[in-house]
Amino acid sequence: MRYLLRRSAHAAFLLLGVSLLAFAFTVLAPGSYFDEMRLNPQIAPETIVALRSRYELDRPLPVRYVHWVISLAHGDMGFSFAYNTPVAPLLLVRARNTLLLTVTVMLLAWGIALPLGIWSADHLGRLPDRLLSWGTAALLVIPDLVLALGLLVIAVKMGRLPTGGMVSLNFENLSFLGKTRDLLLHMALPVAALVLSVLPLLVRHVRAAVAEVLLAPFLLAAEGHGIPRRTLLYRYALPAAANPLVALFGFSIGTLLSGSLLIEVVMSWPGLGPFLLEAILARDIYVVIGGVLLSTLFLVGGNFLADLLLYWADPRIRTETGA
Amino acid sequence: MTAESHETSEPLVRVENLVKHYSKRKLVGSVEEVRALDGVSFSIFRGTTLAIVGESGSGKSTLAFCLACFEKPTSGNLWFEETSLSGLKEKDRRVIRRQIQLIFQDPANSFNPRWSVLEILTEPLVLQGNLSRDEMHPRAQALLEQVGLSSHLGEKLPSELSGGQRQRLGIARALGLRPKLLILDEALSALDCSVQAQIANLLMELQASLGMTYLFISHDLAMAAHLADEIAVMSRGQIVEQGAPEEILTHPENRITRELLAAVPRLDLSRPPLAES
Amino acid sequence: MRGRRAISGWLVVLVALHACVLFAGFFAPYDPTEQDRGRPYLPPMRLHFLDNRGHFHARPFAYALKLAEGSFDQYEEDTRRALPLKFMVRGANYRLLGLLPSRLHLFGAENERIYLLGSDAYGRDQLSRFLYGGRVSLFAGLLGAGVTVLLGLCVGAAAGYYGGWRDDLLMRLAELFLALPWLYLLFALRAFLPLAVGPLEAFFLIVAVLGAVGWARPARLVRGVVLSAKERDFVRAARGFGATDGYLLRRHILPATSSVLLTQAAILVPQFILAEMTLSFLGLGVPEPVPSWGNLLSSLQQYSVLVSYWWMYLPALIMLPFFLGYLGLGSELQERAEPYKIER
Repeated sequence: MRYLLRRSAHAAFLLLGVSLLAFAFTVLAPGSYFDEMRLNPQIAPETIVALRSRYELDRPLPVRYVHWVISLAHGDMGFSFAYNTPVAPLLLVRARNTLLLTVTVMLLAWGIALPLGIWSADHLGRLPDRLLSWGTAALLVIPDLVLALGLLVIAVKMGRLPTGGMVSLNFENLSFLGKTRDLLLHMALPVAALVLSVLPLLVRHVRAAVAEVLLAPFLLAAEGHGIPRRTLLYRYALPAAANPLVALFGFSIGTLLSGSLLIEVVMSWPGLGPFLLEAILARDIYVVIGGVLLSTLFLVGGNFLADLLLYWADPRIRTETGA
Repeated sequence: MTAESHETSEPLVRVENLVKHYSKRKLVGSVEEVRALDGVSFSIFRGTTLAIVGESGSGKSTLAFCLACFEKPTSGNLWFEETSLSGLKEKDRRVIRRQIQLIFQDPANSFNPRWSVLEILTEPLVLQGNLSRDEMHPRAQALLEQVGLSSHLGEKLPSELSGGQRQRLGIARALGLRPKLLILDEALSALDCSVQAQIANLLMELQASLGMTYLFISHDLAMAAHLADEIAVMSRGQIVEQGAPEEILTHPENRITRELLAAVPRLDLSRPPLAES
Repeated sequence: MRGRRAISGWLVVLVALHACVLFAGFFAPYDPTEQDRGRPYLPPMRLHFLDNRGHFHARPFAYALKLAEGSFDQYEEDTRRALPLKFMVRGANYRLLGLLPSRLHLFGAENERIYLLGSDAYGRDQLSRFLYGGRVSLFAGLLGAGVTVLLGLCVGAAAGYYGGWRDDLLMRLAELFLALPWLYLLFALRAFLPLAVGPLEAFFLIVAVLGAVGWARPARLVRGVVLSAKERDFVRAARGFGATDGYLLRRHILPATSSVLLTQAAILVPQFILAEMTLSFLGLGVPEPVPSWGNLLSSLQQYSVLVSYWWMYLPALIMLPFFLGYLGLGSELQERAEPYKIER
């Protein structure tokens, strides 16, 4: 239990840190942004007055921070100047789309990386392992942007897959099956691009972690006892290598969130990426801050999930007391 | 160096009731106290050798670090030539430090691996700052000669030297500052037997020619008896027995001393077997 | 570091590649901003040794392009007009390394412009734009990595050497920065900086933002090295000779961090090149008409370009050797630092 408590404290610390950073940004923001807004004929002067009082420009900072956090907790993430509505509902739709993409990629990438990395570690230094290492190195060399654009060029040349958006124009008229098919087809390219961009990192780390464990005396002993190779790899080696892999899981969420930001823009997936970009170009500051906060929430949530997983996988942590 | 001469001359170092506690902070809650030194008192007289012998974890190295001003004692007093080390300012402490030099156990770890022998030797001279660039080189050569190292070694890296050569280099570097006290913290322990003997002889020669004072810290009672004028046996942060080497070797009073004696492989002294006690 | 280590092959490759970009004026046939409005989206010209009658020519040549019959954007080779490749020709003015005025170019053609990588919407030579664009992207990456590593060194050394609450505070902050998705952080920082800036300001803005985002990992690694270095006996010994904190840091502790810093730099440079590309690609970085690798690719965001002018993607492929070079150098440095570790 202590372990879970400690991890919760860590998650809370991350959220606190990011919220402080984001708050610092909002504090920096109003002064100049309200002034800029005055020049914007689309925003009524009353709105500006209301906003000024809502952001309590005359109150001391700690008070403003507490109030800001409370309003966050009530789902108030500020005001979008460009859309002239509150930020939260706008963001949530985009965040849902981003989540759909990233969760799919996460499952797929780990589902491929684990068996591939373990297999590679099992054949360490032999031809299949070397070929795989070359393959992952090659993928590692290709930057996300180049990879995504390349896939797009190929897809356009083949003309089989939709190359933008999330659904077809006639989506509403499709049957349930048709809708699913349409969505999956639209997801194919961004998912492929993201999986290919995180996969080499995952495979290489899984391989290294498992290979290190395979050299441990207790596994050599188990091998000597005549335990089948498959059981040895998946029931003995993999749980023993869980600790670094869970850390990698947390890290991969961060990488993936960044990657998806870019790939959503390139593949025009209506997630947080294009929305944030648009917001930056329109100087729609609360949208940006809200987006960053949401992404941190995903990250912290994902990390906590990983910690739960480790708690389940590693008996040492379950029995841990004190220190 | 007989026992009578001690009484007439002033001690170089005087240690009174020295206490050093380390607090280990646990992640959750309580603070655990480790008593590394628990009321240690002794004196070292000029030109003599005091050996501190004890098993590992008995507080020997903490004592060395406190004397060399690397650690601040929790309580108790340290005098070096009538100067009390406890209430010293950082600047004065730096001056005192030069007169008390420490030779480390692991010679591989006590030199910057990227530096040449000459750079290593001149470092204390540079830091002392009272020699010009031109004077440093001959001084370094003289130091090498003093500890019996060839002057050709100047351009070598410490990793290219043998264990004995490295320990000689360590002594030469410490001598550069003309210290009054040399603390040898397990300085011979990492060496082969024959090399140990060579370095021990070197130390005795230096003591005879320069009038050096040594604090010899070791777990090896035989070597301590060979080198020292007086032996103090330490256990769990306290001195449990103290006396002249012959005394200690022939009539060990404390259980710890007897255990340490038993650990000595061959002792060509005629003494009754340990089993009788 | 007594010159006993062989010079890395990757380093040689990287230096050669960077020289091409550094001397872009000489290697590029044209000025990157010079437009030829009549020839937008020209496909890459192929170099031939055999003409259409099968005769061999020792000097490679390209055929001029003409609009295909009945088309407004499809070009075909005009076999009546051969453009022999000339070497060491005089052409557009430029300043070598920004200093020496010169007109000498590695190659070019007479009478007509030669487009080995095709042209963009304004008829600008893509090859020239690639080489000049590399200056911005590569040096943003190099400078950004330099700033980051320096920042990491200062923070890590301070945390490791002084310890205590400073260490706690700095390392918590580093953890925060490490956990955050870097592109979000980049976006958030960029959102608060002015949008419409000149190319030079944009360049330094990017470098500063990159430095602000990336310092945490080198800082943590440096801290680790400093922590172990300050417990080494030779540092203790020097303290015994009367050394001050400044001396210990300068002479013993910071030199020990050099290999970590070098490795980190080699890993960071390609990441930062990519970051610059991403920002410029999205229109948040270096603005047109100054070329950078990012805005070179940004035309591919238009569907029509993607469908009809695939060669706009070619620069992306020519970038790959640069990334390969850095990856190779980085893993080699890492292997030197930890020779027995299983490579990741």
